Amino acid sequence: MTQVKKIFPYLVSVLAAFLVVGILLWVLKFNPLKAFETLLFTSFRTPNGFIQTLLKWIPLTLCALALTVPMSAGKFNIGAEGQMLVGAIGAAAVGIIGKDLPIGLLLPLVILAGTAAGALWGLVAAWLLYQFNINEILSTVLLNFISFSLVDFVATGPWRDPAAGHPTTVAIGEGGFLPMLVKNPPLHSGIIIAIIVAIAVYYFTSKTTAGYELVVTGANPRASKVHGIDVRKMFLFSLVLGAACAGLAGAIEVSGVHHRLIEGLHSNFATLGIIIGLMARGKNSAVPVVAFFISILEVGGSAMQRTVMVPVQIVLIAEALILIFILLSDIIKRRQK
Amino acid sequence: MEQDNILVMQQVDKSFDRVVALSQVNFELKHREILGLLGGNGAGKTTLMNILYGLYRADSGKILLNDKPVTILSPKDAIRQGIGMVHQHFLQINNYTVLENIILGSKVSRPLTSNYQVEEKAIKQLCERFGLEIDLSARVETLPMGTRQKVEILKTLYRGVNILILDEPTTNLIPQEVDSLFETLKIMVREGLSIVFITHKLREVLSICDRISVLREGKNVISLTRKDASDEMLVRAMVGDNMNLEKSVMFTTREQSAASEGREQTLTLEGVSKINSLKIQELTDISLSIKAGEILGVAGVAGNGQRELAEVVMGIQPVTTGKVSFMGKDITSQLTTERIAEGFVYIPEDRLADGFLNKTSVAHNLILGYHKLEPYSRKGIINWKNVFDSSRKMIAEYNIKTTGPDDIGGNLSGGNIQRVMIARAFSQPSKLMVAHNPTRGLDIPSMDFVYKKLLEHASTGASALLLSEDLDELLLICDRIAVMYRGKVVGILPRDKFEKYEIGRLMSGYDLESK
Repeated sequence: MTQVKKIFPYLVSVLAAFLVVGILLWVLKFNPLKAFETLLFTSFRTPNGFIQTLLKWIPLTLCALALTVPMSAGKFNIGAEGQMLVGAIGAAAVGIIGKDLPIGLLLPLVILAGTAAGALWGLVAAWLLYQFNINEILSTVLLNFISFSLVDFVATGPWRDPAAGHPTTVAIGEGGFLPMLVKNPPLHSGIIIAIIVAIAVYYFTSKTTAGYELVVTGANPRASKVHGIDVRKMFLFSLVLGAACAGLAGAIEVSGVHHRLIEGLHSNFATLGIIIGLMARGKNSAVPVVAFFISILEVGGSAMQRTVMVPVQIVLIAEALILIFILLSDIIKRRQK
Repeated sequence: MEQDNILVMQQVDKSFDRVVALSQVNFELKHREILGLLGGNGAGKTTLMNILYGLYRADSGKILLNDKPVTILSPKDAIRQGIGMVHQHFLQINNYTVLENIILGSKVSRPLTSNYQVEEKAIKQLCERFGLEIDLSARVETLPMGTRQKVEILKTLYRGVNILILDEPTTNLIPQEVDSLFETLKIMVREGLSIVFITHKLREVLSICDRISVLREGKNVISLTRKDASDEMLVRAMVGDNMNLEKSVMFTTREQSAASEGREQTLTLEGVSKINSLKIQELTDISLSIKAGEILGVAGVAGNGQRELAEVVMGIQPVTTGKVSFMGKDITSQLTTERIAEGFVYIPEDRLADGFLNKTSVAHNLILGYHKLEPYSRKGIINWKNVFDSSRKMIAEYNIKTTGPDDIGGNLSGGNIQRVMIARAFSQPSKLMVAHNPTRGLDIPSMDFVYKKLLEHASTGASALLLSEDLDELLLICDRIAVMYRGKVVGILPRDKFEKYEIGRLMSGYDLESK
């Protein structure tokens, strides 16, 4: 009963969002039912659709965790985008420099380098917070801008692929490619890493003392401090951990999908990650589920554009509306008290 | 007939969510009387008066003012109908003068200027009439608590009320100020006002009130005149039948303090001073020591450095100069976690800000600070089964009203949050307990329970630092009392020298100011 009660506002929010989008589509003279059918079922109609969904799920889950892990400690990491890009740079750099290394060596190096680079990028903001009490929301957002230029710099520098018409580096060594789980349509093994990370994050925050300290810091930093927890260290730690997740997402995009650094590989994963994290209300355990739902919409959205000619932006509108309605349901719940 | 009822409330019901705060409560106030509304915390006294003052709406019931049924929509409406209320926490603007605070929000004769001569004259007349000596041009923040309270009373008088409700007016007042407040109340009654005096303190109602009404758990228990009232009757009415008065700490006098000479000192503070980041001197040259098995009380008007003292002892804030040692070891620079590991336990004053996690479970709350210890965790992994088991035990033993260990903290009421603080603190074998207002928000049996626990704790040879604004509490269970004024310890009295007015004099800073 309580479970139903908990899920109820989400259900209503999704339905309400679809209703609004449906009206919008109807006004724009599209067939809403056909559009929704494509939106929701593309993922399950063909193997390709399903694998596309899983491929979206990997970076979305990791980027959402980049938000929710620091959020557990009460900090807001809005810089998953930059951390993901710097992670991708790190992964690509190691992959290019060590391109002749065997897979047993290069692959872990690429993944770890990307994760570490993302963490390092997060550490900049975290350290500014720790040392000077600089608001992490501002610093993480501003660091995003730097990371865009950094990608341009690397992708147009000595590693540039002259054959590409877009800022792109040369390919990383084949030893750095993530092995394929399914050849056609291609599904790389990054999904296993993402699942492991999602489980590890859940285990860490709910079963370990360090995770407990993270959660109580988020619940009440002052009370945590009074009871002997070094909350400033917790803030730092949570931001770095979140950033590492985003860095890993970047590394997996390089190693599993593009095999090189491409300008714009971050797509809108980080933005969607924020939406997912907020929809999950910062709950790490809910992130994979919400991320899967959003992946379905994302894949369905592009199919919708191809077949029903509905602009793909309508999906973003739907996602944003769902979030707004969920937030609204919070206010309604509070009012009822 | 002068003794007619000016105000009657009939069969008032009020619930919050599923919690019944008042059920079928009747209330009568006669002309020109002081009525004591007595009851423990959570008895519904304040709720009933908040309904009268228009802050809450009753679910059902009637209010008759001068025999006419009335509805009261808001505090403004209440004042218009002649009902004023002074809350426990003053609603004053610190850097305004007394005059400005009084006229704030009322109509003035010359609205576009700051010329308040007309108002000043009116207020001065009121002061004379009620024998209140207040400098109207003084800034409120410079005044002692007793005077600030009179400003609050004057505020309602200025608005022309004839019924005045005082919610726990003696909190934070030193005994001398309490006496002076009572004098004022007597004059006010003589001048024609009717007064409701909300309190949980027995002695106060017996010394000032004409009639006494007792509430318990949202119901009327008894109503009687002072002549007919006795200590024992009122206590029984307040606490109910399920408390053994003979075995209680509160209603029996404690024999001579247990901490005898020759016991070793545990905590020692030598010349501790603290200046905060705003360069404000919060503690000045404090030297204290506590012996094993001793309860050292700290008295003082709130905000005279008690909180800073507690936090310095716990290592939450660093000292600027001076030395803190424990069992002969210098711990001045030791972290809070290390002190907790050594057996320090803290019940913070501000339970919501400093002690409680609203957003996490009750179990999370009950292990906060001790989560690294066995059996709660081993090698960095929390054993939730053990945590839940001991949480259930604590919930039962400390009578915490909650659905279980996984209930969200935010669902608990204030009194239950306090019980969580108490349960957490006493769940650990400790060597030094720092307790700041540990009984705030608790009903009488729970208060008694805390006193028993504190005495038991002392009897095991552990020390305690009890900081409290409730002087009666300190007098009841402490072995010695240190008095703080403006961040200094202005006196330390042993149990055989305990004297209420002497402590009150020290609390007011009289000695320092006159030097």
